[in-house]
Amino acid sequence: MPGKHVSGIAEQTCRRCKENSAVLVVRTEPLCRDCFVKYVHTKAIKRMESFRVRNSAPDQQRKILLPISFGVSSVSLLNILDHHLKTQKSKTGRTGFALVVLFVDATGVGRSPPDKALLDLAKERFPEHEYTSIPLHEVFDLVSEDTSLLEILPTISSNKSLPSSERLPVLLNSLASATARADVITILRTRLIVEQAKKLECEGILWGDSTTKLAEKTLAETAKGRGFSLPWQIADGESHLGIAFNYPLRDLLKKELVAYVDMADPSLSPLVHEPSKTANQLSMSSKNTTIDDLMTQYFESVEANFPSIVSNVVRTSGKLEVTPISTSTPHCSLCSNPVTDGRFGIHGWGGDQEDGLVPSLTERSKGLCYGCTRSIPRQSANGDGA
Amino acid sequence: MPPTPCALCKTNRALIVRPKDHSKLCKACFIQVFETEIHHTITANKLFHRGEKIAMGASGGKDSTVLASVLKTLNERHDYGVELILLSIDEGIKGYRDDSLETVKRNAQQYKMPLTILGYDELYGWTMDQVVEQVGKKGNCTYCGVFRRQALDRGAARLGVKHVVTGHNADDIAETVLMNLLRGDLPRLSRTTSIVTSTPSAASSDPKSHTNIKRSKPLKYAYEKEIVLYAHHKSLDYFSTECIYSPEAFRGSARALIKNLERVRPSAILDVVRSGEDMAKLVPGSDDSCGGNCANGAPAAEEEEGGCGSSNGRTAGGEMANMEQQLAQNELATENGLEVEITAGAISGQSHSSGTTPLRNREKKTKNKSEAVASRKPPKQVMGKCSRCGYLSSQEVCKACVLLEGLNKNRPKNAIQVGYEAQDTDNADSMATATSRLRNVQIQAD
Repeated sequence: MPGKHVSGIAEQTCRRCKENSAVLVVRTEPLCRDCFVKYVHTKAIKRMESFRVRNSAPDQQRKILLPISFGVSSVSLLNILDHHLKTQKSKTGRTGFALVVLFVDATGVGRSPPDKALLDLAKERFPEHEYTSIPLHEVFDLVSEDTSLLEILPTISSNKSLPSSERLPVLLNSLASATARADVITILRTRLIVEQAKKLECEGILWGDSTTKLAEKTLAETAKGRGFSLPWQIADGESHLGIAFNYPLRDLLKKELVAYVDMADPSLSPLVHEPSKTANQLSMSSKNTTIDDLMTQYFESVEANFPSIVSNVVRTSGKLEVTPISTSTPHCSLCSNPVTDGRFGIHGWGGDQEDGLVPSLTERSKGLCYGCTRSIPRQSANGDGA
Repeated sequence: MPPTPCALCKTNRALIVRPKDHSKLCKACFIQVFETEIHHTITANKLFHRGEKIAMGASGGKDSTVLASVLKTLNERHDYGVELILLSIDEGIKGYRDDSLETVKRNAQQYKMPLTILGYDELYGWTMDQVVEQVGKKGNCTYCGVFRRQALDRGAARLGVKHVVTGHNADDIAETVLMNLLRGDLPRLSRTTSIVTSTPSAASSDPKSHTNIKRSKPLKYAYEKEIVLYAHHKSLDYFSTECIYSPEAFRGSARALIKNLERVRPSAILDVVRSGEDMAKLVPGSDDSCGGNCANGAPAAEEEEGGCGSSNGRTAGGEMANMEQQLAQNELATENGLEVEITAGAISGQSHSSGTTPLRNREKKTKNKSEAVASRKPPKQVMGKCSRCGYLSSQEVCKACVLLEGLNKNRPKNAIQVGYEAQDTDNADSMATATSRLRNVQIQAD
C-alpha cells in the first residue's frame, strides 16, 4: 500500500502546498493528491534530462521505445511520459522525442500473461503514440540467422525448418525448473525488445523498473550466479546489447506507483494487468516458485518498513564498476552479457569441486555464462545425440 | 519398488539425497565426496604448506567440529604434513559457552589435539554477559564479533601460529554477500568472499605479533546441510544450541532468504558465492583483482565485525530500523541540499547587478559540497596500526579499543576500580597482563 494512509486524515494538511488535506504519507511527508502526482512526475522526468526539447533537432524526431507489460510500473511510465510530451508541446510547439510503445505478446508462455486487448485500451487512451505488438517467439526470427542464440538447443538448430512459434515451447519444455523457465523467458523478452528497438530505429529503450524492481533484480541476478553482469543490467546508458537503456522510474518505489495508478485522473487501473490471485498463490506454495518470485516477496516486505534500504541496494549495486571490454570480448549466447577471462559454464572455479570437469571445450563453445548454464544445463544443451 | 542404488558406487543402497545437487548417494560415498571436495578446496587454493602449524577456531558447534574432524582425516590421508591445534574463545556467556567448551574439550581428547582456551575477560576485562548487562541485547553482537576476531589472532600469536582456519561455510558466505548488498557495504562484500584473508605487510617483524596472521576458510564451498549430515553420519560430538543473545536483523533477514533460495534451487547458495566472488572484482578501488580465486588473499582486518552468524531467521529489526532512519535522513539532506543549490544559483543569477557577495559565497560553498558528494567513492582502506593495542586497523584506534573505551567509560567506578585503571591508562599493558593470565589448557592425549 502507498506509504501510509494518514490515520488522522483530514486534520493533516499537505506539507508541500500547505493548503489541501493530505491523502497519504510519502517518505515521512504527508502529501495531497496533486502534490503526490507532481512528486511522481518530477522524479521520473528528472531522469529524462537528455530528451529535452532543446536537445533534439527540429527536423529530426528522436524515437525511443517504451516496452509495456501492463504492470503498474510500465503503465505509470506511459501515463507520465504522455503527460510530459503534451507539456513539451504546449510550451514549445514540439516535443523532445516520440514514443514507440511495444507490447511483447507471450500468450501461451509463462503464467497468466496479459491480454492483448489491453493494448487497444492503451491506444484509445493515449492515441498520440506509435503502437506495435510482437509475439515472443519471433525473437528467433529477429536475431540474425547465424547467431549463437539458435545454437543453444540442438533440437532447434538441427531442425531449421521448425517454425519459430514451435521453437519456443521446445526450448521451454526442455528446462527443468520454473526458475529456469522464468529466467529464459525474461532474457528472450529483453533480447526481442532490443532487436525490435533497433529495427524500428529507436535510439534507446525506456524500462519501467521501479527502485523496488531494480533491487529485486540485483538480488535475483546475484542468486542466479550472474553477479558479474550487474553493472550492465541496472545502469542507465549504453547497454551490453548495443543500445541505450534508461530507467526513468528508478527513484520511485513500487508502492508509490501502486498509489499513483489509483490517483491518476482518470485512474489507470483499467490498464493494469493483475495476474489472477489464485494462480499466484498456488505457485507460491509449490515447486513453481521462482527466484524472481522470492525476491518480489522479499522486497515487498522490506519496502513496507524500510524503503530507504531498498534504494540503498540499488545505489550499492550501481557502484560496481563495469569491467573494460573490447569488441573481441565474448558474450554469453543467451543473455548476451560480456564474459571476461573465458569464464563460461559452471566448471573451473573454486566452487566447482569435480576435478575431472575442468572447463570443457564443449562447454566453452556453447558460450553460456555461469548463470545461463544453471538455467540450461548440459544435459539439455547436449541434446540426445551428444 | 526396488531400492535406488547409489549414484556413485552403483552398488550400495542410496540413503542420502545430497543437499548440494540432490544426487542420491549411499552413506560411504557421501562421506567420501564431502571429504574429497574439501581436499580439493585445500589443494586448488594451496591453503596449507608442509610443516605449517595451524590453529582451528573451535567453538564446539557443528562447523568447527566437522572442520577439525575433516582436517584431521585429510591430513593423515593425504599427508599434508601440517600440525593442527584447537583454539577456543570463551566469550563468557553463561549457559551457552560453558557447555560448548566442554564439547571442545571432549573433541580435543578424541582427536588428540592440543587445545587453548582464551577468555574475553582475560583479554578485554569484560565477559559478554557483562557487556550485555551494560549495553543491552541490541547491538551486542557487534562487540562479540569485533572482540572475537582479535581474540583468535591474539591467541594464535600467543601460540606462535601464523595461520588460523575457521569453519565458515558456503551458507555463511552467501548470507554475507546478500547482507552486505542489503546494507550497502561493498568493501566488506569483497573481503568476505575471499577464501584466504591475510594481514598485509604493514605488520611488524616481531614473531609474536598478532598482526600477521593468515586466515582461511576450507569449508567455504561446503553446504551447511551437508556439514550437519556429515556430523550426523560420522557421529561427531557437537554442541547445537545457538547463542542466547539476539542476532542482527540484517543477517537474520539474509539468512532466511538464503534458506528459501536453497529450497527453490539447490545450487543457489553456491551461485550466490560465485556472484560474490565475481562482484568483488568489480568493487571500485579493490586491490583484490583476483576475486576469491587466488591464494594471496585480501586484507582481512575488521572483516567480520558482524558477529557470529548464529541467527536463525529471527529478525529483531532494530538494526534495520536504525539504518533505515539514517538513510532516510541522508536522502532528505541530499534533496534539501539540491534545493538550496538551485535557489542560490537562481537568485545569484537574477541579482547579478546588486553584487551580493554573501550569496556568491554561498553558491560556491554548495557547489563544493556537490562536488564532494559526486566524488565520494567507497573509501579505500589504508591499513595501519591501532595506536592503543597495535592491532591492524584502518583507523587511528581499532574498533575493539573504541568499543572498550565506550564500555569502560560507563562502568561504575567503584565496582572494579583496578581493572578500570589498567584498561584506561595503558591498554597495551593490560593486554600483556591479560595474555599472561591466559588459561592454557593443554590436554595431553594418552
